Order: sequence, then structure tokens, then C-alpha cells
Amino acid sequence: MTRLAGRLYGALIIAAAAALSFSLLVYVLYAINLLGFPYDYDQGEGFEVHDSVLFSRLQLPYRDTEAYPFYASNYPPLFHLMAAPFARLFGPAYWYGRLLGFLGSLAAAAAIAAAVYQEGGRRKSIAALSGLAFLSSNFVYHIGPLFRQHMMMVTFEVLAIVVLSRAFPQRDRRGIALALLLLICAGYTKQLAAISALAAIAWMLLRGPRRALRWTVAFGLAGGAIFAALDLASGGQWWVQAIVANVNDFHRDQAVGLFVLWFKLHGFLLIPACLLLVYETYCDRLSVYSLWFAAAALLGGIASGAWGAGDSYFITSVAALCILSGLLFSRVLGGDLPLPRRLQFLRRSSLCAAGIALIPLLYLGYARATLKMPTDGHFSSIARALGLEANIRGNFYDSASFLVGGYARIGYFLNDDDRRAGEQIVALINETEGPVLSEEAGFTMAAGRDVVTNPTQLRNLDLAGRFAGDQLIAMIEAQEFGLVIFRALFYPPTVLEAIDRFYRHRKTIHMNGFDYLILYPRATDAD
Amino acid sequence: MSEHDEGISKRQLGIALAIVGAVGFLAILSIDLVDAGRPGGIGPAQSLALLLTAALSLIGLSLIPLGDAPA
Repeated sequence: MTRLAGRLYGALIIAAAAALSFSLLVYVLYAINLLGFPYDYDQGEGFEVHDSVLFSRLQLPYRDTEAYPFYASNYPPLFHLMAAPFARLFGPAYWYGRLLGFLGSLAAAAAIAAAVYQEGGRRKSIAALSGLAFLSSNFVYHIGPLFRQHMMMVTFEVLAIVVLSRAFPQRDRRGIALALLLLICAGYTKQLAAISALAAIAWMLLRGPRRALRWTVAFGLAGGAIFAALDLASGGQWWVQAIVANVNDFHRDQAVGLFVLWFKLHGFLLIPACLLLVYETYCDRLSVYSLWFAAAALLGGIASGAWGAGDSYFITSVAALCILSGLLFSRVLGGDLPLPRRLQFLRRSSLCAAGIALIPLLYLGYARATLKMPTDGHFSSIARALGLEANIRGNFYDSASFLVGGYARIGYFLNDDDRRAGEQIVALINETEGPVLSEEAGFTMAAGRDVVTNPTQLRNLDLAGRFAGDQLIAMIEAQEFGLVIFRALFYPPTVLEAIDRFYRHRKTIHMNGFDYLILYPRATDAD
Repeated sequence: MSEHDEGISKRQLGIALAIVGAVGFLAILSIDLVDAGRPGGIGPAQSLALLLTAALSLIGLSLIPLGDAPA
């Protein structure tokens, strides 16, 4: 590298790091903004708070939904167990689960950077950019600081694959055991981790079939024992709630739309990652990262078309593509990419020179493609300088826009109006007596009432033919609920019909971009 | 035995992928052949799975000529 080329490369790398660091700043501010908000931001967060509260009382959330309070969870327990000590100390609240998710995303980014640094020739700048690129993804940004288990699953997956990548070839038994334990942790955080487990097992089979079989048997026995224990402890409800009720309709348009969006947002690094995958397939040994990337992108992407799924199902593949692209760039810059005979007209020095110019530009392009930021307040001058106009709620820009089905319509910052709207709904609950049927658990928890039903779970059970709902419908018909609060009308049709007959919509309260419909019993309706 | 020796070769991987892809493709097609009365024909999830299994077979076939190189 000549001095001039070195200076140019250095300047461009600093520019790329600055662009991705700006993205990190927005992410940190978004997380801080959410930590202070005491109600649901993403639909269903409150139910995960409730799961943690149940675990803190040493109760399982896998329950019979035919009996009051008709509540069950369809998620594995680990994330909620991690939040349970906080629930014990601080009661039901959102901040600690959001903080866990946010810290999990930072840990995943650090593991990505460490993998690229250690396996890519110790290039600090590329390693740092790889980690920052993960945090800059619109998909990661959305869900990182939420009280959702998805990001913690990704964190366990990333840690597991990074540890396995070194441990298996080195026959490091402790390392392999740790990697498989982390994969079990990922699976018992969210079922989707089965894809990463399959990729890891397939890679071990490639590298050492006999050893892989022994480890896979141990892995299966450990995972199966936990599964059996949960099913036994819940009287069979774990199987019904977490497995049977998790099969949803598939929407091809949603999956295709999300695939296209995934490519548009991450294409600058996705193409280099695919190049390394092809290179390893035909010219080198397949790394665990390549297999993991292919499995997560294809299977996770297809799964994103299921009802209730979305862009978060691509996050694992984003982690893998950040590692793969970082490794490719490191190897190109280090001249450590032996070319097959037919491609040897591309001299290593030419490739290295092209890399010096191109690699920082790819990261800069990626930073622009994944840009999202507020456009008001302190950010207004930056938005003007960048030529950005708000495309979300009048004060936020998201490069993905909100046009693709399944893309989480969140990411903007909350304000005092949202908090006041939440307080207003809680005040309405406090004015009533008896239990409240709410599609968000946050309001009833804030009012100190029971959390009654989990609407998406009832819907899924109903579609699986596992929900009768006689007692719930009888309570609705007897108008035993002081209020009904709707957000998305996720309840099964029979429940919605009963509510329509016995309750009347009287108020609409707008909070964080959604309309909450407040329904009162018809008999006591003043109108 | 070194780590390099104990792994699977490109040819073995290619054969395995080609077989898995072909069997998968036929199995997915047979869902409609066996369940002939089912309305709607090949659904969206099925067509995606057919595409994937066909691609898997083709990748497998392309790996076979690479011989004993480690996969």
C-alpha cells in the first residue's frame, strides 16, 4: 500500500466508522427513550413482562386457557427467567427486559467484531465496522431494546457459533460443550434457534462426522430432557402452548417482500458475504459462518412469511453476513485469498488495491442504506444537511419506510403525549371494577389488575382447534369485565362476536402510533 | 488422524446434497399425488420448498467434480 493509498484508505475507514457510529448513537438514544416508557411499545411486550412476573413467583406461564384468567405464553422460558429476578425486585416493569435486550444486542455485536478480528487476521478497523454494521441494521434497531426474547436468542446464537468455529476444529471439548450449551440457551429463549442448531450440527458433520454424531446425541439428550421436564411440570401445557399453538398461516407475499427489503437494506454487505460463501463452497473449506448464513437466510427468511413473524426473523442472517463480509474484507486486504487457477489473472495485489478503495465505500453505502433517525429537535439540522424528510409520524426517517408487510412499524421515539395517553387508559381502568380484558397487558398491570388472556395465543389455539372459550365467553356475556381494550382485534372470532354483542365502543385513545379502542358494557353505557 | 483427514470431501457432500434435494423434491411433489382430492394444487410454501430442493440438488451436482477436496 503506497502512502497516498494508505491515507485515502484511512480517511474512508474513518468516514465509514463515523457514519456507523452515528447510527449507534441513534440506537442508544432510542433505547434510552424506550427504557423510560412504562407501557407496551411493540404489541405483546406486556405479556412477556407478565411471563417474567409469573416466573418470579415460581409459576409457569404454560397454562390451561379454558379457565380464568385464560392466559398462556407460547414462548420458551429462558429470557423471562433472566428477567424474573428483576421482576421480583422491582415488580412488573418494562425497563429491565428492554435493557437486557439492548445489552444482548451489544454483546452480539462485540462477538461479531471479536470473530472477525480473530479469524480475519486481526484487523481492528474491519472488526469494529462489522460489529457496528450489525447494530446499524434496521431489523436489529427495531427489536433490540424491546422486552422481547428475540434479540437474546440472537445473542446466544452468535456466541454459540463464534465459540464453535474455533472449538470444533481444535477439538476443544470445553469449547464445544459451551457452544452447544449456548445453542440450547438460544433454543429455550425462542424456538427459531432450531435453524442455527441445524446449521451447527451440519457443519460439525462436515468437519468430523464421528465426533459430530457423539456431540449431537449429547446435545439432543440435554435439550430433550429440558423439554420433557417442562412438559411434565406444566401438565402437558408446554407442548400445547409452545409447540402446537406455534404453527401459523404462511403468507408468500410477506416473505417475498421481506426478502426484497432485506436485500435493499443489507445488499452492500450481503453480496460480499455471498461471494465468500460461494468461494468457500468451491475453492476452500466451508466455515460454520457460511452454513449458518445460508440456513438462517433461507429458512429464517421463509419463516418470516408466517402470520405474526416479520423482519426480526432475518436478524440471525444479518449477524452472519456481518461476520462473513468482515472476514472476506480482511482476507482481501491481507492478500489471504488464494484464487483458483482460472481466476489467477486477478493478481493478489490488484485485489488488495481494489479492496482498499472499495471496502470503506461498501460500509459507507451500508450506513446510508440502513439510515434511520429523528428529523426534529437536535437532529433537524443533520436531517436537513443529509436531505432527509420525515416519512414516519412526521418526525422520523426510516430508510425501510413502513410499506412492506411484516416490517415492524416501530422505531420512532416516544413523547409525553404517548405517556399521557397510557396514563389516560390506566385511569379509565381505575374507574371500573372487576377484571379488564385488554389486548395489552401493560395497562392492567399498571392498574394492579389481573392480566386476563393473551389474544394472539387464543387466536393461535383457536386456529389449531385447541380453544373452546366457553368460560371466557360466558364472562363476556355476563359483562363481568369492567372494560375491554382493543388494539389489533387478535381475539378468536367467537370471542370478538361476544364482545360485539355485549360491549360498546365509546372511546378511542391514540398511543405510540396506534388506536386503542375502549369498550364498555352495553347495559351500563350512558349513551 | 488429522482434522483435515476426518472431514467429508466435496464429492461426498455433493452426492449427499444431490440425493437429499432430489428425494425432497419428489416428496414435496408426492404430497399432491397422494392427496389427489386436495383442492388448490401446489401451495405457496410448497412451491418455495420445491425451488429450494431443486437448487440443493443442482449445487450438489456441481460439487461432485471437485473430488476429494475437503468440504
